[in-house]
Amino acid sequence: MKQHAIAWSLCAALTSGVILGLPAVAAAQSNGPSITPTTVLSGLDNPWDMAFLPDGTMFFTEKCRGLSVMLPSGEVNALLGMKDSQGYASTNDDLFCEGQAGMNGVAVDPNFASNRQIYVYSTSSLSDPVTNRVMRLKVNDDLTGVSDRTDIIDDIQYKPAATNHPFGGPGAHNGGRVRFNPGDGFLYVTTGDTHNGKVPQSPTLIGSKVLRVDRDGNAATGNTPPEGFDARTYTYGHRNVQGIAFRPGDNQPVVAEHGPWHTDEITVLKNGGNGGWDPRPNMAGRGDCPDDYCGYEPNQMKGMDATERAAYMPMTDSKTFPEAMQPAWTNNGLSQGTSSAEFLTGEQWGDWDGRLVVGIMGIGFGGTPVGQRIDVIDLSDDGMSVKEVTTMAIPMATGRYRSVVQGPDGNLYTAVDQGEIYMLSPN
Amino acid sequence: MKRPTLLAVAALLTMGTAEARAIDLTVAEKTYATVCANCHGRTGKGMASFPSLAGRDATYISDRLKQYRAGEKVGPNTPLMMPQATELSDDEIASLSVYISTNFK
Repeated sequence: MKQHAIAWSLCAALTSGVILGLPAVAAAQSNGPSITPTTVLSGLDNPWDMAFLPDGTMFFTEKCRGLSVMLPSGEVNALLGMKDSQGYASTNDDLFCEGQAGMNGVAVDPNFASNRQIYVYSTSSLSDPVTNRVMRLKVNDDLTGVSDRTDIIDDIQYKPAATNHPFGGPGAHNGGRVRFNPGDGFLYVTTGDTHNGKVPQSPTLIGSKVLRVDRDGNAATGNTPPEGFDARTYTYGHRNVQGIAFRPGDNQPVVAEHGPWHTDEITVLKNGGNGGWDPRPNMAGRGDCPDDYCGYEPNQMKGMDATERAAYMPMTDSKTFPEAMQPAWTNNGLSQGTSSAEFLTGEQWGDWDGRLVVGIMGIGFGGTPVGQRIDVIDLSDDGMSVKEVTTMAIPMATGRYRSVVQGPDGNLYTAVDQGEIYMLSPN
Repeated sequence: MKRPTLLAVAALLTMGTAEARAIDLTVAEKTYATVCANCHGRTGKGMASFPSLAGRDATYISDRLKQYRAGEKVGPNTPLMMPQATELSDDEIASLSVYISTNFK
């Protein structure tokens, strides 16, 4: 399917991708630049991630539809559809969505100019039990299709059936971000715990991990997980990492994680490190838990004091795991749906040049404010704390900020679950 | 949407109830925009793990909200819905049910 974004009729514009201008206003900030938002694409179905070429070409995923690309002209080409998707150049019927799972992250190969490769994380029914996969795809010269699918990772856990937990449907805690580190050239893949208590601390199950692999999915040379762990493991003991970015200067990986009714976290990773998440029953003073997963305990269906909850089921259990990586930021002990992360770079960002931005989707539970926003975070040099946190003032309705990616033009792009991709321009 | 009396009648017919409810669509619209839309979306189509409300009739919406208000477990998002429904009156539930069922087809 080819879509011409700019020249379309208004009718088409209401239901498909099109460039539209928001009112030309900018919001004043307490620090940093003011922001002008522009709608880049609308009418999308749960846009999940974006990845850019140097000329502004933007690949993007929709969780239940598939992979598309928007050209600098505004033309949109639907490249790879999922089961039952219509209008794509090709479809793969093994790709499907359920709950939080589906087509998630996308990354462009640093050598795209010569190898034309991109990488996409998606749930697939090819294996039994079902898994998440990282697919390597080759994009054709005119950006109208992809070919040569190679599943470089095919064994990331997926939650196949509902359990007795909040958000307990299939597909929960599915991870899904994929990013190349410009420092070492390896691909980093973030995964989730799938509501399975055994996964985070498991040496062999690769959910709840940050994986570091080469273009073929082989373990990166230099990974140092504990003995007996899958060699692809860079870090483990996570809950559900959906954000990863690399700090300018030293390219240190930094992850953003959504907490369990408390304590969203931003953590600077250490090779071989343990995130300290361990929701197994009968651990650390806990007893039995619903369906052998203590992740929302105690009192998982009702609100209670976040501090008390954190003491019982800590996001980072430093008592059980004294060497666990410590978060730099904990969202004041709240859980509001921290998702994606990106570092702002360039003098157009003024005081924010080099700062981390984090997309927060918003979860209002037990008296916690919903909190949909993008936070701008000044990490300390040692990565163990934050110096300043500023909520980006954006003059438009808030959204569930699923993805934040800086484009080659220096602007920040954000995808919201509501169905839009916006460009946020600093002034 | 701006004709509450007519819609109230329609709601009563749709919901098949003999009990009259004071339908206030202005308040329902505001409640939807400030609370419900955070998860179900501005047009009720749902997103992420949150279901679509489009095409649901008023009786369905009303019944679910009353179940949540009563503390019944109705699917995996119950912990999020129960606190939202706890403080709703019968009139507010009826108003939201009419607003959602008539605006999100």
